[in-house]
Amino acid sequence: MSTEQAAAAAPQKRAFGRPRGGNRRGGRRDNEEKGWTPVTKLGRLVKAGKITTMEEIYLHALPVKEYQIIDTILPELKDQVMKIKPVQKQTRAGQRTRFKAIVVIGDSNGHVGLGIKTAKEVATAIRAAIIIAKLSIIPIRRGYWGSSLGAPHSLPVKVTGKCGSVAVRLIPAPRGSGIVASPAVKKLMQLAGVEDVYTSSSGSTRTLENTLKAAFVAIGNTYGFLTPNLWKDFELTQNPLDVYADEALAGKKRY
Amino acid sequence: MSLPASFDLTPEDAKLLLAANVHLGAKNVQVHNEPYVYKTRPDGVNIINIGKTWEKIVLAARIIAAIPNSQDVVAVSSRTFGQRAVLKYANHTGATAIAGRFTPGSFTNYITRSFKEPRLVIVTDPRTDFQAIKESSYVNIPVIALTDMDSPSEFVDVAIPCNNKGKHSIGLIWYLLAREVLRLRGSLPDRSEPWSIMPDLYFYRDPEEVEATTEDKEGVEEETEAVTEEAEWTAEPAEADWSTQPAEAADWAETGAETVQAW
Repeated sequence: MSTEQAAAAAPQKRAFGRPRGGNRRGGRRDNEEKGWTPVTKLGRLVKAGKITTMEEIYLHALPVKEYQIIDTILPELKDQVMKIKPVQKQTRAGQRTRFKAIVVIGDSNGHVGLGIKTAKEVATAIRAAIIIAKLSIIPIRRGYWGSSLGAPHSLPVKVTGKCGSVAVRLIPAPRGSGIVASPAVKKLMQLAGVEDVYTSSSGSTRTLENTLKAAFVAIGNTYGFLTPNLWKDFELTQNPLDVYADEALAGKKRY
Repeated sequence: MSLPASFDLTPEDAKLLLAANVHLGAKNVQVHNEPYVYKTRPDGVNIINIGKTWEKIVLAARIIAAIPNSQDVVAVSSRTFGQRAVLKYANHTGATAIAGRFTPGSFTNYITRSFKEPRLVIVTDPRTDFQAIKESSYVNIPVIALTDMDSPSEFVDVAIPCNNKGKHSIGLIWYLLAREVLRLRGSLPDRSEPWSIMPDLYFYRDPEEVEATTEDKEGVEEETEAVTEEAEWTAEPAEADWSTQPAEAADWAETGAETVQAW
């Protein structure tokens, strides 16, 4: 614990460079990923392959409760632990220390999630934060700074998000500018799949947690913005829970 | 909203509604969202417009009938007056019933044993069943509620204005809902024919009443599936028992007898 505390104390804002891919750290049991019996309707539909994209879930605002749903739909998610900070509570027998883990997860192609969890052990906190990050995955709308040549590289509009005292403003940037932001926000943008963006932030940006939450809110707002090309009405699609009503119920445990 | 004339309120149904005192709303306590009041009586009772009650019942039934899987409709009642109604409703329409305590987390916590994922929730009283409504708001589930004039309307999507204080009223509304849903689904093909089930099946019976009737009757079934309604009404045991009840039920028996003669 002491080494970790020392490591945590030294670099405040820097991202923890733990190498990540899809693999977790060692000590995982075999049946964790292979034997997923979904408990929710959405889970069953995803496992059965009826729902294959996150967009279908977003379109109908289906609440996602099981993180394996996200795993099945977005297998190439990369996570990054942004900060582990020890937080303490006073008891009559001294302080009770817990560790707060802040994790950003994304596929560098329009989906990011932010997870924050506190637990008595660092590893537990990180694991749980990753799960929370998966459940909080949100789509990002990317756009162009100028001419719509090639793939979208920046944001379509200026957006802002606020959490606590921190307000983060994201501004579209011309191609080749790169992500002009503080290291934490930069990592979030990279995992989101944004290539060029200018940022401006205010408030107590040292509080990493609030800065990240503000930036998360900001990129979430990209799909909340009504631009003229969305003015047209489009037909409503049926809720997949209705369309596949039978498969959704099949295999439900009867008590 | 123009529906074919067969969906209009029939005189027989109107008599049922009035006999059950569905039109007697709450006194004094009234919320903004109650254009359903027909008039306020001098003693403070707000009279509900039965025509609007009927229209909302039809609207609710259409929504319920549109759900492909009938089990995805959940009927809730924590109050005793609605528990029997909710169970019978679930029985007749294939819905799921939650009678008595609504375990918090039933809609949101996928680990609980009583975890359900309904597409629609019908509630007997938004005030006492607030937990169900609150949880529905967390998981995007629309809510239909039997609202009185003093019922909170937050997160209620379709309100059926009625008296939710009396056991006859609650039972009758659930009965009519069930009948409408079955008619829309096609299980009861003829709209003009009365349903073979009596509304009485949906009324709450308190335990002493149950004991009293089981002593008098010997194996006379309360469920009236096979026998026609007129025959039931003219049978002595049923009427005699009702008349031993306090005034409210006695009125019901008398007015009921009158409506039978009208038929």
